[in-house]
Amino acid sequence: MSLDSDNELVETISDEQSSITTNPTPVKEIELPKFEKGLADKIVEKFGSRTKVAFVKSNRVRINVSRDDVKEVAEFLRDVLNFDHAESVSGVDYPQDKEIEVVYHLGSYTDSSLSSQILVLATRAQREENPIPGNDSTKLPSLREIFYSVEFHEREVFEMFGVYFQGHPDNRRLLLPEDWADLPPLRKDFAIKGR
Amino acid sequence: MSVIAPNFKFSEFVKSILDNAFWMLLIFVLIGLPAVFIALFYIEMPVIDGQLLTPFLALTWLADPSRTIPILKAFMSTDLFKIAAFPGFGFAALIAAGTIFVERKMLAKLQLRVGPFYCGKFEGILQLMGDGLKLISKEIIIPAKADKPIFWAAPILFVATAAAFVALIPVAPGWVVADVDVGLIAVFAIIGFFPIITILSAWSSNSKFPFIGGIRALHQMVSFEIPLILSLLGVVILTGTLNLSEIVVSQSNFPWIIFLPIGAIIFFITILAELERIPFDLPEAESEIVAGWLTEFSGMIYGLVQLGTYLKLYAFAALFVVLFLGGWTGPMIWPPFPEDIITNGITIGPITAKIPGLPIFSQEMLNGVLWFVIKTVGVIFFILLPRGVFPRIRIDMLLSLGWYKLIGLAFVNIFIALGLLYAGVLGPGGILQ
Amino acid sequence: MIKELPPGLALQKVDERIMTLNVGPQHPGSGHMRIIVQIDGDFIVACDPDPGYVHRGEEKMAEYRNYITNIPHLERPVIHDSCNVLYPYVLGVEELLGIEVPERAKYIRVIASELNRCVYTMYWLAIYGIFLGHSTMFMWPAGDRELLIDLLEKMTGARVTHSHFVPGGVRNDLPPNFEDVCLRQVNYFEKRIKEYAAIFYDNPILIARTANTGVLSREDAIRLGTTGSVLRASGVDYDLRKKEPYDVYEELDFQTNVLKEGDSYARSKIPWLDMMESCRIIRHALQKMPKSGSVRVKLKPNPKGGDDSVYKRVESGRGSLGCYIVSDKKPEPYRVKLSVGSFRNLIALPYLLKGEKLGNMPSVYWSLNYWPVEADR
Repeated sequence: MSLDSDNELVETISDEQSSITTNPTPVKEIELPKFEKGLADKIVEKFGSRTKVAFVKSNRVRINVSRDDVKEVAEFLRDVLNFDHAESVSGVDYPQDKEIEVVYHLGSYTDSSLSSQILVLATRAQREENPIPGNDSTKLPSLREIFYSVEFHEREVFEMFGVYFQGHPDNRRLLLPEDWADLPPLRKDFAIKGR
Repeated sequence: MSVIAPNFKFSEFVKSILDNAFWMLLIFVLIGLPAVFIALFYIEMPVIDGQLLTPFLALTWLADPSRTIPILKAFMSTDLFKIAAFPGFGFAALIAAGTIFVERKMLAKLQLRVGPFYCGKFEGILQLMGDGLKLISKEIIIPAKADKPIFWAAPILFVATAAAFVALIPVAPGWVVADVDVGLIAVFAIIGFFPIITILSAWSSNSKFPFIGGIRALHQMVSFEIPLILSLLGVVILTGTLNLSEIVVSQSNFPWIIFLPIGAIIFFITILAELERIPFDLPEAESEIVAGWLTEFSGMIYGLVQLGTYLKLYAFAALFVVLFLGGWTGPMIWPPFPEDIITNGITIGPITAKIPGLPIFSQEMLNGVLWFVIKTVGVIFFILLPRGVFPRIRIDMLLSLGWYKLIGLAFVNIFIALGLLYAGVLGPGGILQ
Repeated sequence: MIKELPPGLALQKVDERIMTLNVGPQHPGSGHMRIIVQIDGDFIVACDPDPGYVHRGEEKMAEYRNYITNIPHLERPVIHDSCNVLYPYVLGVEELLGIEVPERAKYIRVIASELNRCVYTMYWLAIYGIFLGHSTMFMWPAGDRELLIDLLEKMTGARVTHSHFVPGGVRNDLPPNFEDVCLRQVNYFEKRIKEYAAIFYDNPILIARTANTGVLSREDAIRLGTTGSVLRASGVDYDLRKKEPYDVYEELDFQTNVLKEGDSYARSKIPWLDMMESCRIIRHALQKMPKSGSVRVKLKPNPKGGDDSVYKRVESGRGSLGCYIVSDKKPEPYRVKLSVGSFRNLIALPYLLKGEKLGNMPSVYWSLNYWPVEADR
């Protein structure tokens, strides 16, 4: 399909936006992909209201959990649902919520039915206005014992957002210079000069 | 308008030249001439046509340049000439320079590029000179914690040892700096110096990468010296002599590589290892230990080490030629010196110049040198070739190759030599001689 | 503000037998990173990779630019593979904005990304060759790479930083007569890379040196979350072009290369085999591509995404490359995260180097298909 006029596209975009707007609960109106729905149902069945399924799209399922449950949910994902590695760990800073979100993208190599699936596991840590990385309340349990592959990713999130991962054996700097003494740079209150 | 000299005046230019000429002449007359005469007083002058060469006689060169030929011949028979110029350092350095050029061009052709191209108009022939000038003009940086006397001495010792090695190589009949009866033993002794110099320089620089490189070089050279020595014993058994010139003479009918191919192969592999050439360039392995034991060398110190390395390369290739390929022996392909010039002289228009003392070099000597150079260049080519074809090997593979495989093969080679000797095929009183 | 030094800078007390080597950042065998290696004799007892020397804050910069102006700088992490680095971002933006890409543009994207994969792999192979002391293997790939760079230059106008993929298609249509030139160059290129077997991959010294070194077992490859050639060399058949086909990959005929050994030799052979598959893909795509048609849908200036997040991934030259984009109804993305293959494979380095010989360090390190600039982002 090729769209030539601008107006048509604009309309398409606005239509799409309304349909893909994320709701806190799974959208019931549009038809959900079956397999992904099954995954989400299994998690909800096990943990009930402690997890919130943020969206179910084709090949992507996102669940939000609180920081106390993240380890338990991750263990369930690994042992029962066969997700065996983490592809990426990204932090997202939400100053207005006073929270920093840490998003794990989990994938599976061993289970061929899951090979195109990415399970997005999101949890939130408390955010401090004046961070002292490692020595303030911005802390999360580390998932390194469950997914070995998060080791360097969590180190990166620690230096970039100041989220200290409890139980991580090696909370050192990775990418930043060793004498970096400013704010963790990917927080929203760290502004680039001239912008 | 010239930018370099904006206030140029021709008259002042001429004046400055005349000034310079005047002062040079004055200084030469007042200091130079007395110095020359004092020096001549102590030097034993040659006797030419029954006359002692005096400075006044020397001035007759101006009238008859052919009078210099006896002096030239007298000079060529001195040790100084042999050490500095022909079979010694100068000749070896010339071949080494040629080797570097050929290596670069050949490797470039192998790798689908052009190599040195611009320096010197023709195919980058002056590139080496340019590199030398660059190295001389660069600053020599000595590490702060280095053991300075040893650090300075190591490159010089390296070149000196390489030059000592060159001194033992016979190039043509009678043309060898040191014609000693223990020639091969002396070669082994000199080879034994290289690991010591290497480890000294590596240790004295007080740096980690050179140290690892030096230790690697030590391991490599020690473990390959034993098969090197053993592989040459076959030749010694068959010839019954250690004198390198006599070994060459013994191959006038056939080179030893026909009967001792295993020994030749082992010797060739050990040459590669001793020279730290790919695939055995572990002591200089770039991606692991920067430049190995050469890491801290800079400027002309590095240049000296490179010069020593290429002298060593020439010496080893020449040793291979001497021991296995028959040295200077070969069919006579050099044209004889025209008799006409000796008897009738050269006629240029109305003048007929009769030059006594020709020819300077005999036909045998020139032919020998030609064959020697052809063979040496061939061997050098095969030493250079692996650089474009092989990756570097690892230290444990290298050591197991040296200690297990090559030493075993060297003994096989010795047994072949002994078998040939006792079967009466070769050696003193053999069928073939 | 904290002033105290992080624990990584504290001086370690080590055994006297053990020598600590700083391999990099100024070292011919490291690239733009530092590997702190502790050796006992010739054996590595510990290894600590220290990336970050070329960290440029691409992710932070992306939060300040709108979706379109992010394109030229987000391809900088690997300029040799710039199409593939940009690919997941473009796919993600298309999903956020809900754009359908014309069919011809999809084929052009596949051809460009496969050409770019070959360009990257040739560069990687050249450095692998020189790391092993094989200078011919440095010069040949570096020279043959030019063939494909010329093709990409014809296609996109730039030699390395193409910025060719945009949300909604590609920037320009193919130049006239491109198909014939491309077919000819790719056929010659394939003939050339087959010759590498004789000089490099079948070389007995190379096999003796890299086989059985740095062995990564199948279980460990999965546990460490490695990707790309490292994963496939350990016997896991996982290629996103097959497993989660994007654009037109599911219509094209190719196969994935899997080796079981998991050693440096297998890891270095997989990209070379992949290049031949890339040539096949390009030929097939040229055949199936619609001969004419639009290559780009026009976008509204300053497009805004919804309140959503997407995670898109493609198979780049170094493995799976994911892009996580969070948007908040503004023209600029709220957060862009690149999850790159190099960074994911880096975790295997300390694991593999422990107990290896020092001489194996360059081959194991570079066989991880690691690109320091990409890992730092």
